[in-house]
Amino acid sequence: MSALAAAIAVSFAALGASYGSSLIVKTTVEGIARQPELRGPLQTVMLIGIPLVEAVPILAVVVAFMIL
Amino acid sequence: MQEYQQMITRQKRWLFYYLIIVVVGTVATSFHSIFNGLLLGSVVSSFNLWLLQCRVQKLGEAVVKGKKTMGIGTIVRFTLIVLTLFIAETFAQYFHFFAVIAGIMTMYVVIMIDALLFQLKD
Repeated sequence: MSALAAAIAVSFAALGASYGSSLIVKTTVEGIARQPELRGPLQTVMLIGIPLVEAVPILAVVVAFMIL
Repeated sequence: MQEYQQMITRQKRWLFYYLIIVVVGTVATSFHSIFNGLLLGSVVSSFNLWLLQCRVQKLGEAVVKGKKTMGIGTIVRFTLIVLTLFIAETFAQYFHFFAVIAGIMTMYVVIMIDALLFQLKD
């Protein structure tokens, strides 16, 4: 039962994070493609945004390890 | 572009200083398992940050040149973190589990502090 709980926690967190990351990357790629001169600021925002999204599934993995 | 390079340099510098402090703590103090855990997590976190910076840079270049690129390395980063947690759990006598988690979270703390100090100021 604990393995199931860990799997659910990790999978839902990964699902949310993948959606969030895809939104960030999509917006950045669109922005750079439209205005290549704004590449620096857009990459900066992307580099700040992606770790914020990724922190959630990493904490979920930690919780899963503690459950198991 | 210059602003991105400056941010990368700043983040690397902060992480380097933090790693030096952790290494000194590992050698000089008697809290070996805690500092070992912090060191393990921080090294993995530094590698993850470096990988993310490289991949974001390559993604930007690929978009400008109209080429294709292979993602931003999320799977590699997650695999490394799971492997680190597995090592920490297996060798629990050497690595404090929560210290490893704190070490892994270093990257996010550095990015957030850097963003708050330098991005919001501009």
